[in-house]
Amino acid sequence: MLCQICKKKEATITIAKVVGEQKTEFHLCKDCAAVFSDKISIFPLPQFNINDLLAGLLKAIDLYNKEEGIVPAKEIKCKNCGLTYEEFKQSGKLGCSVCYHDFRDQLTPLLRRLYGSSEHIGKIPRRARGKLNKIKKIKQLRKELREVVIKEEYEKAAKIRDEILKLEGVLKK
Amino acid sequence: MQNNRKETLLQNLKKSTAEWTSGQGSLSDIVISSRIRLARNMEGIPFPSRADKAELKNIFELSKQVVDKSSLFRDSNLLLLDELSSLENQFLVEKHLISIYHAREKHLYRGCVFNQKETLSIMINEEDHFRIQYLLSGLQLNKIWEFINQIDDEIGKKVTYAFSEKEGYLTSCPTNVGTGLRASVMLHLPALVMVNRVNDVLKAISKIGYVVRGFYGEGTEVMGNLFQVSNQITLGLSEEEIIDNLEKVNQQIISQEQKMRKNLLSESKSQLEDQVWRAYGILSNARIISSAETMKLLSKLRFGVELGIISYPGLGTINKLMLLIQPAYLQILSGKELSPYDRDLQRAILIRNKITYSRERMCI
Repeated sequence: MLCQICKKKEATITIAKVVGEQKTEFHLCKDCAAVFSDKISIFPLPQFNINDLLAGLLKAIDLYNKEEGIVPAKEIKCKNCGLTYEEFKQSGKLGCSVCYHDFRDQLTPLLRRLYGSSEHIGKIPRRARGKLNKIKKIKQLRKELREVVIKEEYEKAAKIRDEILKLEGVLKK
Repeated sequence: MQNNRKETLLQNLKKSTAEWTSGQGSLSDIVISSRIRLARNMEGIPFPSRADKAELKNIFELSKQVVDKSSLFRDSNLLLLDELSSLENQFLVEKHLISIYHAREKHLYRGCVFNQKETLSIMINEEDHFRIQYLLSGLQLNKIWEFINQIDDEIGKKVTYAFSEKEGYLTSCPTNVGTGLRASVMLHLPALVMVNRVNDVLKAISKIGYVVRGFYGEGTEVMGNLFQVSNQITLGLSEEEIIDNLEKVNQQIISQEQKMRKNLLSESKSQLEDQVWRAYGILSNARIISSAETMKLLSKLRFGVELGIISYPGLGTINKLMLLIQPAYLQILSGKELSPYDRDLQRAILIRNKITYSRERMCI
């Protein structure tokens, strides 16, 4: 039998690790065993790897989508950076902010499974704060505009229209 | 000119000690330090793993402008990590200024901003464009949030962050999306380890969304009975809630540790004293010592100080020693590369000096 670590030399040493009632055996060569025995003397952490969890969840979501007849995610590609969904599944890393938009159908269930929620309720960056407020303001002005037009107050309407155009111009920038 | 600056910065880092090693702050007998980091990206530029050279440079230059112009970064400096040797990169890892991942990453324009007290460090072009971290000694998560929130706003004046109303701050890995906030607390838990309870405690907290890591973060081993407990959930909760929950979880662990310490002191005081003084004996007399053995013994010694069995060296000295004896730090201090055997020799000398010095000071 070959050593389980280097997979080159013959395994001559068996190390048994007993945690609670669970026993795991490792078959190693002399050199790897020396390194390994050093490592296991150090306290073992509970094995939890977020990337493994992510990969598992992604597979489950793919399977679910297939059953539901949703387009296989494989063919999806980010329009901005060109990352394919398949590449994302392998690395667990997205390529750019647009990926979140282009893979949203796949990501939303993933985020819900990871976090129990897919909605951000925390801090909003200052710049976006301004933008979000402007969008709100435009909506409100449009409503006002409709009202004044009905009342035939055209002078007021022109003022509101200018304000909307100005805000939209700022947003476009 | 640039090289001179780099040399000066490294020289300063060699001599400086970080605030978080001071052994001060709330509950410093169990809590070494608290940390918060925020993951941020700039809108319109691919994340570092998919950005090209010009885009990475763009992010780096922008960081330089922010550091140069804002008064919040008055005492901060920016290092271009590409210019540093792998030993120097490793040294910054051991100082907790950058992650292991950042030190080993191959792409260009990797940077690190840090302030004089080493409470702030910003990794530029790590997994995300900006990884802002703030560290303080003891349990001080709320204070850290106050500081880091300000720094985040300051950078946000210059940088339009990648943000969506729905998913929040957008990050390279979906496991950071939302707040992009990871808070962690570094705990010294020798009593829970000694009575074999630590595994139960850590298993329990991993079931409710918390992660335990080693001294140097993700993927590193536990040494010196030091455990880093951090939140896993970054989306669907506000920053304040995440911090508050983490603090509560840590208070639970701390009270368990305190209880065990009390029990141990009342039931096996002589054995404890024996272990602490033996650790002191080896540390102050060894001629050859590995970093693994040193961390084990320093933990025992720290335990002795925490329990009042021994009054020197102080917690601050022990915290600092835990960094100074690391392989790269030791070589940087010696000014040359050392073989593992030479490091074990140098390490023993360094520890003897520090410990004898602190004893002499106590006796005056």
